[in-house]
Amino acid sequence: MHIADGYLSPTTIVTTYAIAIPLWVYGFKKLKATLNEETLPKLSALSALSFIIMMFNIPIPGGSSAHAVGTALLAILFGPWVASIAISLVLLIQAVVFADGGITSIATEALAMGFVEAFVAYYTFNALKKFKFAPFVAGYVSIVAAAFITGLILGIQANFVDASGKPLYFPFNLSVSIPAMVFGHLFIGIVEGVFTQVLYTFLNKELKIKEQIA
Amino acid sequence: MKKIYYILIAFAIATPIGLYLTNAPAWGEWESSYYKEALGFIPKGIKSSSQSAIAPDYSFSGLGDVSSYYLSATIGIALIFGIFYLLKKIIKHG
Repeated sequence: MHIADGYLSPTTIVTTYAIAIPLWVYGFKKLKATLNEETLPKLSALSALSFIIMMFNIPIPGGSSAHAVGTALLAILFGPWVASIAISLVLLIQAVVFADGGITSIATEALAMGFVEAFVAYYTFNALKKFKFAPFVAGYVSIVAAAFITGLILGIQANFVDASGKPLYFPFNLSVSIPAMVFGHLFIGIVEGVFTQVLYTFLNKELKIKEQIA
Repeated sequence: MKKIYYILIAFAIATPIGLYLTNAPAWGEWESSYYKEALGFIPKGIKSSSQSAIAPDYSFSGLGDVSSYYLSATIGIALIFGIFYLLKKIIKHG
């Protein structure tokens, strides 16, 4: 779901940053209220884990690959705002240090893999809390939702064409980009779901995060 | 609390698996040459963008794939812990 520089039109870049910036500001306030001696190492470790699992490229049918993200786990444990900020930081590091995703696309990626995945995961988990497999479903549904948003924003780029009608940026339209992104993540959703389920079960009691958030 | 560090370290040690599971790029994350083949041209925006980084695609020049991946994992983890630590310091004094 990473998007290189040059893939998005300037209009899209400006729009996505205009949406993301106020969300980052508000999320940062939430982070401020959350960070303390107890939560700092836990949030750092889970964010780092998210960075690490994104390094596992997994083959998907159709000859392409994708990776889990880990936003759902963060969202369930720390709430959607803090999770979104944590993932945004990971995306920033990936773009600046590793050219994995462009600087101009950080807002788009943060909206998809950060905010959308975090909020979908958080509310899905809370709606299904009574069920044992709520973390799995939250992980699965939320990464597919993030993939949908990524496909949506990528597909819109095909409308930006030069005088001769040639696309200037990402060239494949919505009818290609949305199915492609969603299809791949229907498989990766299983990985994200299992990751969320197993880590949540392992860590929930031990981390006792909810009691430590102001 | 220690458990989470063990899990993080275990995943970090396993990262080279990510190199060997597949060579296929993610959908939409192709080399520019892909567009030349698929469309007959490279869209202008994609052609003119050049993204430089310390370790593009998690590889350091002069280092092998596995060493590069381990170094990348280490740098990523260190940056994340460092930035959160600094944020907490700033918040405390701000």
